[in-house]
Amino acid sequence: MGAKQTRSEHDHQDLVEKTGFSVEQIQNLHKRFQQLSGNEETISREHLKSVPALANNPIRMQIIEAFFDKRNQHGNELGSYETIGFEEFLMVMSHFRPPTLRTTTEEKETMRKEKVRFLFNMHDTDGDGKITLAEYRKVVEELLSQSGNIEQEAARAIADAAMLEVASTNVPNMRPDDFYEGITFEHFEQILKDLEMESRMHIRFLDVNTTKVHCGK
Amino acid sequence: MDCFMSPADELLSKYLGLSINVWLTLVFGFLIVPAVLGVSFGIHKYYVRTLLCIFEWATLQMELKAKEKNHQLYRHYTSGIVSKMPDSTLRQEIQDLRRTADCLSLEPRFDLADVFFFCRKGLESILDDDVTKCFSAQELESWNLLTRSNLNFRYISLKLLALWVLGVVIRYCVLLPFRVTVAVTGIFLFIVLSTVVGFLPSTKLRRYLSDTVHLMGYRLCVRSLSGVITYHNRENKPKNDGICVANHTTPIDGIILANDRCYSLVGQLHGGLLGMIQRAMVKSSPHIWFERAEVKDRHLVAKRLRDHVADENKHPVLIFPEGTCVNNTSVMMFKKGSFEIGCTVYPAAIKYDSRFGDAFWNSSQSGLVGYLLRLMSSWAIVCSVWYLPPMNRK
Repeated sequence: MGAKQTRSEHDHQDLVEKTGFSVEQIQNLHKRFQQLSGNEETISREHLKSVPALANNPIRMQIIEAFFDKRNQHGNELGSYETIGFEEFLMVMSHFRPPTLRTTTEEKETMRKEKVRFLFNMHDTDGDGKITLAEYRKVVEELLSQSGNIEQEAARAIADAAMLEVASTNVPNMRPDDFYEGITFEHFEQILKDLEMESRMHIRFLDVNTTKVHCGK
Repeated sequence: MDCFMSPADELLSKYLGLSINVWLTLVFGFLIVPAVLGVSFGIHKYYVRTLLCIFEWATLQMELKAKEKNHQLYRHYTSGIVSKMPDSTLRQEIQDLRRTADCLSLEPRFDLADVFFFCRKGLESILDDDVTKCFSAQELESWNLLTRSNLNFRYISLKLLALWVLGVVIRYCVLLPFRVTVAVTGIFLFIVLSTVVGFLPSTKLRRYLSDTVHLMGYRLCVRSLSGVITYHNRENKPKNDGICVANHTTPIDGIILANDRCYSLVGQLHGGLLGMIQRAMVKSSPHIWFERAEVKDRHLVAKRLRDHVADENKHPVLIFPEGTCVNNTSVMMFKKGSFEIGCTVYPAAIKYDSRFGDAFWNSSQSGLVGYLLRLMSSWAIVCSVWYLPPMNRK
């Protein structure tokens, strides 16, 4: 029991450096991981699908896929896993850490780029580095499927229009016959350049809260 | 004449007379004698454990009821993994988005960035999901049946209400008078005995007796609050040649620390009851009390402290570098000055467990008497003291 504990503490220390979470946050997340996985070592897609609150989310499949996507692991691999362990889980979560007061501007830039990358990977399901029209249509359909009133035709039209807009912004001299292959990562970044992402794409992870007692002065 | 006294009155006076005797025997036997001798029956530990069981049952009731009615139960002590943003709807979020992107028209549009909302919500649900958490086998946080500490107090169920009423009755009608009696007796005994010991010539016997008297006084005070204190790392307990510094959270910090060994307290001389106690204390053991005028003179204060510390027979001085909150005036005017004396510093850390009673004193909300009454009508004061390794100036 003792040896096992020290090994997991050692792992957690590694993870602190890799992901930037604090030790308490990692412990909290570990508990959550075990809850989700039913105390096993790895999580599969079924485990995540069984989270009830996700059922209403229109892009739940994309979000679940994002966990299993190798591109979100800060490496250069492509493809996807069948099951993920705690480290991979943490790496995906680390995309959503908010900047602290101590984050430098460069680090903020990097974090922002990572978030954009995460979103890009979510859209680009086949991993070829471009969001094609078909992929984009799929995302739009899923997003709009919740509202119920939009038919597939309308969703398609919206997707086409959006794609066209992206194309015209980024490739200004495109002739009508040219085929726009797809949104590359640079174009994607360009579109989202003005959007204030920091407050929308982060989740505030709490530290363990020891009850504070105050002094009356 | 006898027929004027109804049988009920007779019974009552007999009963009351009996009960006062019982009362005194209880107090004497269970509190004062053990306090003098320094032994403990361990009643308080059982008491605390029983309380915990009751609290857990109460919380379970609340959670089950809340789940039935589908209410959101405010989690008081445990923290979630994430702090969820206030529930904004999709519409609001998109409006915000459009505004930042300099788009003024609010007609239905679609943008790449709309996916943010769902993305974040999805991640949040994966991380922190109310349903899975509710019945997970982790520690139940408790409601300690004090309205003042439960922000979610509503009429939950008859059982709980009955339990709460019972709790109020017990706390105010049984515990409170009991504790006040003990406190008053304790202080009275302390003043008398301390003055008596003060008359003895200054010998080892006198020091031993004065230590006993002081410890008895402190222990009685702690028992009057139903205090359960756990001391950790006792090997680091302060010795006679230095000062002890501790974090300051409540007015009773000094008593909590002094329950274990005697300290010399530092402070300003007050008037009234407190002043009387102070004067009685100083007759048998060298505490450092300052007159009002002397407080301003830093050098005088420092000199007295240095002299005190240099004498091996005197107890370590207990200092709260943050300042005391007894009188709302800062007695230790120098914060770092207390460390300039250049002796060994024994740090101590006090941590209160607020499940049984909130020891926080908001001096703008209630005065000291109100605070003490509140303290005495809580369930218990449970705290831990850690003695940290001594430090010397390098």
